[in-house]
Amino acid sequence: MKRLVLISLLLACTAAFATTFIALDRKSARMLTDKATHTAPTIVALWSTDCPHCKTNLGLFANMVKADASLRLITVAVEPLSAEVAASLDRSKVPGKRYVYGADAPEAIAFALDSKWRGELPRTLLFDGHGNRVAISGTVDRASTRKSLGLTDKR
Amino acid sequence: MTPLHRLGAIAALMIAASVLPHSASAADAKDKATMAGMAGMGKKIRVELGSSAAFAKDGQLLAVAKQGDHLLLYRSGDQGTHWSSPVIVNARPEAISGDGENRPKIAFAQDGGVLISWTKPLGKPNSGEVRLARSDDGGASFAPPITVHRDRQEITHRFETMVAGGDGRIYLAWIDKRDLESAKAAKNPYRGAAIYAAVSEDGGRSFKPEVKIADHSCECCRIAGAVDSDGAPLFLWRHVFEPNERDHALVKLRTDGTPARVERATFDRWKVDGCPHHGPALAVAPDGTRHAVWFNQKNGEGRAFYGRLVAGGVEGQRIVGGEQAARADIAIAGHRMAILWKEYDGERTQLHAEISEDGGASFKRLALGAANGASDHPRVISFGKELFAYWRTELEGMRAFRLP
Repeated sequence: MKRLVLISLLLACTAAFATTFIALDRKSARMLTDKATHTAPTIVALWSTDCPHCKTNLGLFANMVKADASLRLITVAVEPLSAEVAASLDRSKVPGKRYVYGADAPEAIAFALDSKWRGELPRTLLFDGHGNRVAISGTVDRASTRKSLGLTDKR
Repeated sequence: MTPLHRLGAIAALMIAASVLPHSASAADAKDKATMAGMAGMGKKIRVELGSSAAFAKDGQLLAVAKQGDHLLLYRSGDQGTHWSSPVIVNARPEAISGDGENRPKIAFAQDGGVLISWTKPLGKPNSGEVRLARSDDGGASFAPPITVHRDRQEITHRFETMVAGGDGRIYLAWIDKRDLESAKAAKNPYRGAAIYAAVSEDGGRSFKPEVKIADHSCECCRIAGAVDSDGAPLFLWRHVFEPNERDHALVKLRTDGTPARVERATFDRWKVDGCPHHGPALAVAPDGTRHAVWFNQKNGEGRAFYGRLVAGGVEGQRIVGGEQAARADIAIAGHRMAILWKEYDGERTQLHAEISEDGGASFKRLALGAANGASDHPRVISFGKELFAYWRTELEGMRAFRLP
């Protein structure tokens, strides 16, 4: 059964393109951050338009994905879909699947994403693709992120 | 529109329909329809639940909440069981922040004027103005709102908190990024944002030029306000202490709005380059003791805390509630004090309270209820010697619980 609901957003202010977002409920959120879901190194980046530090992380992750095709990036805006959510990601040219909070209770979605997370942002979940998950609050650096993803640093 | 787009739009409409709250009035129903229609155009699907309530001197409970581009004032004569049809606060529609950390506020001027403050988001991301509307007839009608600050740059002036001082003055404090923006322009580093405040000497009809209270506040946590035992306003906010410790700072304002002294109030030393988005609450006992609740990460775990703020430290600091305890509030009425918080249990959000009748030495715990859907931050409010929990939830609407 399909749990993910696709919302196509035709942005009124930037009508030149349409961006697809996926609205999360508690079940799809749990699946998204289940260790078993990720069989390749994956960054799941929780962020919001209100959070200046999130931009720093998203910029870093965008660069990391550009430099390493084996790495996957998934972004989760922990707020309902708005034009600003799409514009923020587009401004920083952030690739990857884009999720937003859907109709389910925000507390339930947050708990399902990461029961140890208390709402601080940015929150980053790093999956090495072999069943390990590391969660980090705040800004991160490239080297420690790659290490948590099980990637060896190129010198 | 491609078939996929059409499906998406239909799904969005279905989502919008499923999250609509039980209305407090007919106006809600109209707003729901508007929001559902806009869901596919990038407007937020969820209704922002941020709301405040306060008892007027005559015992009427007033509550303010956002519906679209209007603030609505509701009135209850039976302590929150039934609510009147709402009065529109801002006749002219404008953008309004309505989330739990940045909700509309309500206060009373000494002459009985009803004051509603809010943040009006502007065009640029995270920009806003602090707005205030005053009613001279007990909330039956409102004068056009004013912008509280003189600085009109399209930058952050948000997360305002309003305190009606014991001297009759109205004090507003907010998060302001003018110093951050100046530093950015000069390519200088600047930690966090700043706190500014403005004072009204005519019951909220006009404000004196704002003054800076402190550099280096956190960027998006609510500010707590309280009246000190001598009637002066106190503000407590999440600060960014060097290098990146997100603890709290406390200030007492003079009558001209200038800060007497900014003091560090908590010492949990949560070092994070991030946004907790979780502000504190403060209440002052008749003996002058400052009781606070706040959220911090300590020893690697994010928890809600209670403690008494004393010079250079915290007395009696302890954890409030379980691992998921969040959005704690605190209030005092006479010799009684209540702490209120919500806690997600894996299925529903539970509302809990603790009551102390001995100045915080001991507390008895109460379970007040639960919500299946989304919920606003809960608040403790007082009337005379009585304390109430006020909670707006998506499915149940606005409710008040008398705390026994």
